[in-house]
Amino acid sequence: MFGGKKKEEELDEFNIHVARHRPEELAKLAKTTKFTRKEIQLIYRGFKQECPTGMVDEDSFKNIFSQFFPQGDASQYAHYVFNTIKHNHTGKISFEDFLGILSKVSRGSVQEKLQWIFGLYDLNGDGLITKNEMLDVVTSIYEMLGRSTEPQVDEHSAKEHVEKIFHQIDANKDGVVTIDELVEWCSRDEQILQSLDTLDTVL
Amino acid sequence: MASVAAWLPFARAAAIGWVPIATHPLPPAPIPKDRRKADDEKLLINVSGRRFETWRNTLEKYPDTLLGSNEREFFYDEECKEYFFDRDPDIFRHILNYYRTGKLHYPKHECLTSYDEELAFFGILPDVIGDCCYEDYRDRKRENAERLMDDKLSENGDQNLQQLTNIRQKMWRAFENPHTSTAALVFYYVTGFFIAVSVMANVVETVPCGLRPGRAGTLPCGERYKIVFFCLDTACVMIFTAEYLLRLFAAPDRCKFVRSVMSIIDVVAILPYYIGLGITDNDDVSGAFVTLRVFRVFRIFKFSRHSQGLRILGYTLKSCASELGFLVFSLAMAIIIFATVMFYAEKNVEGTNFTSIPAAFWYTIVTMTTLGYGDMVPETIAGKIVGGVCSLSGVLVIALPVPVIVSNFSRIYHQNQRADKRKAQRKARLARIRIAKASSGAAFVSKKKAAEARIAAQESGLEIDDNYHQEDIFELQHHHLLRCLEKTTDREFVEMEVPYNGQPKRPGSPSPLASPTHSAASHPGLLHACCGRCCGQRYQSIPFLATSPGKDRVVLVYSDKIEVRTKKHQRGATPESTAHDEELNDIQIRMQSNRSPPSEPTPDRLSRASLNQTNSGGGTGAGTGGTGGGGSASLVSISKPNSTTSSTMTASVVVNLPASYPGSEVEPTSPASPSASPATSPDQQPEVRISTL
Repeated sequence: MFGGKKKEEELDEFNIHVARHRPEELAKLAKTTKFTRKEIQLIYRGFKQECPTGMVDEDSFKNIFSQFFPQGDASQYAHYVFNTIKHNHTGKISFEDFLGILSKVSRGSVQEKLQWIFGLYDLNGDGLITKNEMLDVVTSIYEMLGRSTEPQVDEHSAKEHVEKIFHQIDANKDGVVTIDELVEWCSRDEQILQSLDTLDTVL
Repeated sequence: MASVAAWLPFARAAAIGWVPIATHPLPPAPIPKDRRKADDEKLLINVSGRRFETWRNTLEKYPDTLLGSNEREFFYDEECKEYFFDRDPDIFRHILNYYRTGKLHYPKHECLTSYDEELAFFGILPDVIGDCCYEDYRDRKRENAERLMDDKLSENGDQNLQQLTNIRQKMWRAFENPHTSTAALVFYYVTGFFIAVSVMANVVETVPCGLRPGRAGTLPCGERYKIVFFCLDTACVMIFTAEYLLRLFAAPDRCKFVRSVMSIIDVVAILPYYIGLGITDNDDVSGAFVTLRVFRVFRIFKFSRHSQGLRILGYTLKSCASELGFLVFSLAMAIIIFATVMFYAEKNVEGTNFTSIPAAFWYTIVTMTTLGYGDMVPETIAGKIVGGVCSLSGVLVIALPVPVIVSNFSRIYHQNQRADKRKAQRKARLARIRIAKASSGAAFVSKKKAAEARIAAQESGLEIDDNYHQEDIFELQHHHLLRCLEKTTDREFVEMEVPYNGQPKRPGSPSPLASPTHSAASHPGLLHACCGRCCGQRYQSIPFLATSPGKDRVVLVYSDKIEVRTKKHQRGATPESTAHDEELNDIQIRMQSNRSPPSEPTPDRLSRASLNQTNSGGGTGAGTGGTGGGGSASLVSISKPNSTTSSTMTASVVVNLPASYPGSEVEPTSPASPSASPATSPDQQPEVRISTL
């Protein structure tokens, strides 16, 4: 009556977001991606278990990713991966985005995979990978190792690694790597092509 | 980990980003064993084992929820012809009842957050909770949110401890949390002391201290020791001014700081002094000057920075503002009514005290609060009756809002106490979680090695030890993922503990203990390496016999074979292995070399490698992780010279090199493929590296 009301509005922000996202039909997803129905079912169940609302935001993504690399800090690499997934400026990814990327990267053609890899390294999206961009990504990969490795990871490990690799990929030595140079580099090496395949997952 | 098992495909897919920069080719994927692995009008829903049945139409009543839409098809299990949800069955009961009756109930004994999560999972808005349960739900939610806010604030407070960059922030933190550094604590106590001194000085100033010279009346101490009190006052005000200016400087948001209550109190506390300096000591304004001194008592409010209880009291009053308002309003109403009646009742009495209605206010207040000074007393009978009614109603009116205020105070006070308790508990909890994580990481590494051993055994086609159940495909693939990471960066995961001998590993230093029994191996041109946990040492290409003190194995490289023997005597080696019997298992390492040594075309004998698990449940003695798949050359291991191995297992490795290797020199076999091993040494030093993965 006379005093101020309790700050209900402030407390409301802690409510679980009721915004939900329902994915497309199972049959349609099976058609547009390279997974079978059963596989999509499995993937969706796991997805929904972790994110009941059907949308993943970057923090939960980093969290989930970090669980696979318990020794190190996977959050920076997760951040770069998250950025490769197109999401409509809400900062969250839906199941369709997730499944699309998964299908492209784990079961797509070599060209698609390399495209995605290029997108991962090209942080600012300008179509060129500079040495610094590669250094950032490689640093984040090294961070995932954590402290208990042999030999130990120090602040120069990533830099050395990049020094070694970058000039090999950069065929015309212009200081940046284009998608063609990357494709060329990967196609030349049998083992790289093989490695691209080993990371598919059996469900 | 089970809940994120389904995200593993994504993590593995994301790992493709490592491929272009990998220093070594990635190991092949694990081969999965056979895997098991989905209108009638009634639908069977299996929630964690408890079966629910309902009509399809029931569920379709609410098509925007999970069960009502075709989203439930994702959870359909074809084999059992039922929908399986791995969720809480007790809460699911309520959710299903919502479909049946249209009313969602909130069970009082359930935790609010778990209930909310279930609702979110099944796509039901909490707003449809029925009226019978809604208030309870909202109350619990409010408490929860307040708790979250507290946690968030304290978490931010703790986090900010780390991120201070400049003097300003450090000072601000020192002001707000005195317990964070010694200087802040000193400052805190000093200011507290001076506030106390200043207040005491104000009080003592007015105490009579002897007689006025030449006049009647006592002399207050303030006049007698004018200089002393003035100096004291000046000192205190200096301190307070300095404190205020420092706070002003350090505040992140100066405007907000200036408007805050504490800073206003500070200003009001020190302003009278400065105004007093400006006013000269003449009688005109000395009255005003005296008034100003009253404000000095506000300094006592500065104590609220120092006392939590005062702050709680202030906060309580603020939050009970509406109840207090009601109290004041109803009291005011009652006072006016009774004063008016009293006045008219006593108006005609001779020499009465009730000269006007405002004068009667005093009587009413004193009566209603049951003080009863007796300086104003009714004489007429009507007046006395009114007086009686007044005092009775006074008790009632005051007693009503007081419990509300008291309960508010108690709630806030307990909340604060709980917040402190939670903060203390949180620290202990985080410490325990850290320890658990560390131990799980270590267990993980050993499990990983076990998995690798089994995979390698699998690849080479030899039988595996059936004591261990085949690991779940997800585990296998997860371990494969981590191996890929190792290969990409050319590192290996080791266990986190300090090497058993406690000494830092120095590269290239031979082990102090060279066992004489293996002197036969110090044949010229032999290369010795060691594997197993002894390998903190980085072995160079100079042949030497390397064992580590207390190590349980030694690797001998002969011209035609590489042998790793387990020493029979253990000297406090690995804690795990001492408990078990060591078995010497023959391990043959598959070798292929794609680099033809100068005088021979191709190796004409290939040995195969298999790793057998012994009972010590750890990793393997030597691994061939790099030798999978197609014909990439890999001898033993393809890590660079500095790679070391660590494992908790003991094993024996016998490597048979092709006999056609020339002479007694072992050909350089370390590089597998040039592009994958950046550490290929250009010189033709015979090098054999054995490493586990």
